[in-house]
This record gives sequence, C-alpha cells and structure tokens, in this order.
Amino acid sequence: MTQIELRGVQKFFGAVQVIKDLNLKIDDNEFIVLLGQSGCGKTTTLRAIAGLETIDQGDILIDGKPVQHLKAADRDIAMVFQSFSLYPHMNVYENIAFPLRATRKSRSEIDTEVRSVAKTLQISDLLNKKPSALSGGDMQRVAIGRALVRRPKAMLMDEPIGALDAKLREEMRAEIKRLHIKQGSTSIYVTHDQIEAMSLADRIVIMHEGVLQQVGTPDEVYSHPANLFVAQFVGSPVMNVAEATVAENASAASVSVGGAATGFEFPRALLSKLNGHAGGQLTLGIRPEGVLVRREATDGFLPVETQIVEPLGSFDIVDLKVGSKMLRARTKSGFIGGAGEKVYARIDPSQAHFFDAASGKSLGVRL
Amino acid sequence: MAAVRTSSEITFNRIAIVIVLLVTIIFLAPIYWIASTAFKPRALATTIPPTVIFQPEISPFVKLFTKRSQMRNPPTPEEYAAAPWWERVVFDGGEKIVRDGKGEVQWSGYPSRFLNSLIVAITSTVLAVGMGTFTAYGFSRFKVKGEADLLFFILSTRMLPPVVVAIPMFLMYRAVGLNDSHLGLIILYTAFNLSFSVWLMKGFIDEIPKEYEEAALVDGYTRMDAFFKIVLPEAATGIAATAVFCFITAWNEYAFALIMTNRRAQTAPPFIPSQVGSGLPDWTVIAAGTFLFLLPVAIFTFLLRNHLLRGMSFGAIRK
Repeated sequence: MTQIELRGVQKFFGAVQVIKDLNLKIDDNEFIVLLGQSGCGKTTTLRAIAGLETIDQGDILIDGKPVQHLKAADRDIAMVFQSFSLYPHMNVYENIAFPLRATRKSRSEIDTEVRSVAKTLQISDLLNKKPSALSGGDMQRVAIGRALVRRPKAMLMDEPIGALDAKLREEMRAEIKRLHIKQGSTSIYVTHDQIEAMSLADRIVIMHEGVLQQVGTPDEVYSHPANLFVAQFVGSPVMNVAEATVAENASAASVSVGGAATGFEFPRALLSKLNGHAGGQLTLGIRPEGVLVRREATDGFLPVETQIVEPLGSFDIVDLKVGSKMLRARTKSGFIGGAGEKVYARIDPSQAHFFDAASGKSLGVRL
Repeated sequence: MAAVRTSSEITFNRIAIVIVLLVTIIFLAPIYWIASTAFKPRALATTIPPTVIFQPEISPFVKLFTKRSQMRNPPTPEEYAAAPWWERVVFDGGEKIVRDGKGEVQWSGYPSRFLNSLIVAITSTVLAVGMGTFTAYGFSRFKVKGEADLLFFILSTRMLPPVVVAIPMFLMYRAVGLNDSHLGLIILYTAFNLSFSVWLMKGFIDEIPKEYEEAALVDGYTRMDAFFKIVLPEAATGIAATAVFCFITAWNEYAFALIMTNRRAQTAPPFIPSQVGSGLPDWTVIAAGTFLFLLPVAIFTFLLRNHLLRGMSFGAIRK
C-alpha cells in the first residue's frame, strides 16, 4: 500500500520556477505517467519525489508522511534512469544485489532474491556479465531488476526506454506494462512520448512549463483535453486548431473556420452549450478523424479543395483548404488521389472541441 | 579504415616506424648507459671509446652498500681465501670493507637514503592523491561559492618555479624545526603535487556520470558510501595516473631535498652525486646507485600500466 501525494510543490532553479504549485495524488498500485516536452518540469518532479532534488515549498507525502526532508536513501523508493546507470565495475549480479547490500540481509537471502528477480526478468543467464557486454534491452532489464529487488514502496522511471531504438522500445513498453500488472507497485513514469504515455498509464499527468495541465485516464485526456496545449500535445497526427466564428441560421448553428463564407453545420444545442461564449473569440479543435470527407456532394457537407496527401500506410492524412485555413483529415488509404481534387467535408460535432481563444481553456462543450 | 593500403601509405608507415625507433633509441640511450656502467669493472667505466662488450660485475653494488677504505697493502693470501665472495670483489678493486670493533660490516649511507626516498615519496603521493580526490569530488559535484576563483588559486600555486621560494621556505622550516625531517619533505611534496592532483582528478571525476551516485543514493546508500563504493572504483584509472605523476615528481625532486635535508631525512637524489666528490670518483658505484633508484618508478608504472592504458569510457551509460 503506497500512496504518494504532492501538495503545493514549488521548485526554483535560480530565478526560474520549474515547478509551479503542483498538487497531485497518486493511488496505490497506480501507474502514473508524467508527460510533457523537455524542460516542462516532469523530470524535476520525479527527482524531487526520489529525493535527488530539494523543493522550495510544499509537501511530498508518502503514505501520508511528509518526506521532503528525508534523504533519498530513507524514502524507500527505487528509480530507473534513462542512462540505466549500471555500475560498470560490477557484474549484473552485483548490480542487482547492490541495493540489498545496503540492508542487513544475509548473503543467502540476497542470493535468493537476486536470482528470483533475474528469473522474472529472464536475465538469469546474464548474471556474470559486465554491463558493457549487454545489449540496450538487457541493460534496461537489469536496471529494472535493480529497482525491483528491494521491493520498494514505489518505482520511479525517468524515460527508461528513451535511449533504445524504436522496435526495442515497443517490446520493452509491453514488458514494463506486463511487469506492472504482475508486480503491481505504485509507479511514476516520465516521458515526452505521448504514445508511451497512452499505452502505459492508468492516469496521465500532462505538464507544461512547470504547470500541471490535466490529469486523467488516457481516454479522458484524448477525448476531453482540458486546454489547447493538451489538445495539441496528445494524439498523433496533431489535432486541427482554428479560430472559429459561430453563427445562428434557420435550423441550426454554423461554425465557420478561417474566414470561410459558409460554415460547417452544427446542432442548435451548440449555442446554448457555448453559454454566451458564442460571440467571443473561439478556437475550434478537431482531430483529423473528426473531419469527415465525401467524394460526392452530400447534405451538410461543404465543398473543399485537397492540397497535400500524406499516405501513412493504414490511413492517409489529407490537407483540405477551408477558407484561409488548412484542415487535416484522416481518410482511408488511397481515398483521395492527389492535390487539387474537389471533395466535400464536414466536422463531426461529437468530436469537436471548443476553446476560449484567449485563455486556451476548454469550454467543455460536448455534443 | 581503408581495406586496401596504397603504396604511399606503406611508405609513410615505414618512415613512421623508423622515426619511432630513432626516438626510442635517443630516449633509452642514457638508461642503457647507466645500466651498463652499473655492471662494469671500474677500469672500463671511463674508457674512450666506451667499452660496449665486457664481463659484467656485481662489485659496484657491493661497494654501493658498504663503507670502504683504501688499502695500503694488498690482503694476505689467507685473508683473501677466508673472505666471503662479496668481500673479495672489494679486495680486487684495491679497497677493503670497513668493519666496526666487533667485526660487523659497516653499511654505506645509500640504503637509508633509499628508504627515506620511499617513505617521503609514497606518503606524499598518498596524501596528495587522497586530498586531491576529495577536493576534486567536492568541486565536481557540489555548487561551491567562487568555484572558478578557488580553482584558479589552486592552479596559481604552480605558476612560479618552486625553487624561487626555496630560501624563505628553508628559513621557515628551520624556525619550526622541520628541516632535515621526513615530515618536512612530505609536507613540501604534498603541497607541490596537490594542485596538480586536484586538477587532474577533477577532470576524471567530471567524466563519471552523476547518475551512478544518484542510483546509489536512491538504492539506500549515503553520499559517503556512494563515494567509496561507486566513485572511487570508477575513478581508479584517474587515481592511478595521478599517483604515477605525483610519485615521479616526489621521487625525482632534487633541489629542495638538497637544501632542506643533510643526513637524517636525506633522500637518494642529493646523496648519489655527493659520492662523486669523496676521493677518486667511482662512476660504477654512482651508476649502480642511479640504476637502483630508477627501478621503483619503473615497477610502479609497470604495475599500474593497465589502469593507465584503460580508457575511461567503458561504462554502461547510454547518452
């Protein structure tokens, strides 16, 4: 049972504030991913929890007890580094045994535990090798083994697979997930890769410039981004974002993008849900799969011209010119032949997001 | 690397080998000279042209370690027959070994000077490298106020030739009673080497990724543990290299040893040439003393050769 809580954590590096009033509660056995661009404060947050970085204000609680004044060694937390940090002068066995040697465990107890961890991670045959003789994936397994062997209260991982090549990264991602399901320890994982975050996390914590942007399950974060930053950071290909004007016509609402003369048709309910924001500066967000494309004229679809087609194998991404703006749509592969074709598009209202253009905050409109 | 060598590359390689051989010969010539003279009979040491082929003798080493005096009369055949082999080689040179009232052989000053050299060089090396490593670790890992200025100050102690301060140092040492003492020389050589040791070790420790220690800190160790269990083994290469340089400096130091010591704490460098002046110079004995004096540095360097050669970057850090 391990809960970790951050209360009003602030951290400065000189005059630069890298963590701004961070509040977060992590439940037992939860797999939390801190996601953000480099320099957003996610690694600093992780290091603060580990005790490798001091904080300037606030509390870090592990199982309800404040630990911000404890040394790293006394927090009973394990960490896997991006560089793996295997001690080069020790073999794999000694590397894994190293955390146990800091405790008062007997030689035979240590041996049993090292061998059992090695078995779980399928590295039993590597125990006598030096780290320099290992492949990247094996190094990472050893690093995870060294973190697991002490049965710590929590596992912290700082981009643990960021240094591996793409194929191995995918394998190790699955392995980390399997291991977490099997071992079930509270885990905090830092990455800048949103695919990694989506696939691993129970909940994703998105940070930007030291400020927490949104906490939620991968689905929540993807389907209901709290602001423009989250909307554009999560999801690939990136969400279309455009300034929009909402108007009312006879039977429905109309949303025009990029100064186009005619707008996309939306249900009338949009007007009431926008709740007075309709006249203000709005930003429309729509993921490429929310832009529907037809080849022939259909009711409610606007005529548009295709620009660039990017074939991505399982689907194509097509740029559509709407007014002065470009909307990217996701189509079946080969659906559009090339640039300059006349097609018809509409926006799926149930996938549309509306943001306040000034603050970037989501208006919470769900149709 | 090109798989096929062009003829110009082969020519270049041959020229390079010739140059390397020439340089090696130039560097090794004095060492050959000393080593061969150390085993020559006295009469052949100063011949012109030099004698290259000769029957090697051990007598210079016997003479080096014993006190001798000139003999007016050669020993009687009985005396000669009764003497052990090492005394006979001295008789052959027209000298005899000085014995005290009880008939015990009198040692020369060389063994104690050699021991002094060992004590002073080893102790000052351990101190300089030890303190240098701790200081370098501090500078490398922690934010130190005025770090650049402090490091420059440490470096600046090397900016003037040490002999410049020899006279004031001598007066200070005499005032506090440190002259002709082991401690005095140890302090002096440690101070010489410390700045060098700090700078060299800082370079080596900077190369060791911080993550190693951070991993140890998270794994339940104190910073001190992490230093001894992780940083020291990782810095072994650097420590070995620094130790070799410090040892050589302290071992070879001549000027201060000459000024600061005369008997009790005198090291070998000022002692060996001092033997030239007494009576007729016996160059074979001087060469024997120099030859033995060269050995510790050679052995020390040989023992540490793997550490000196091994690169720093064989670790398991991925960047």
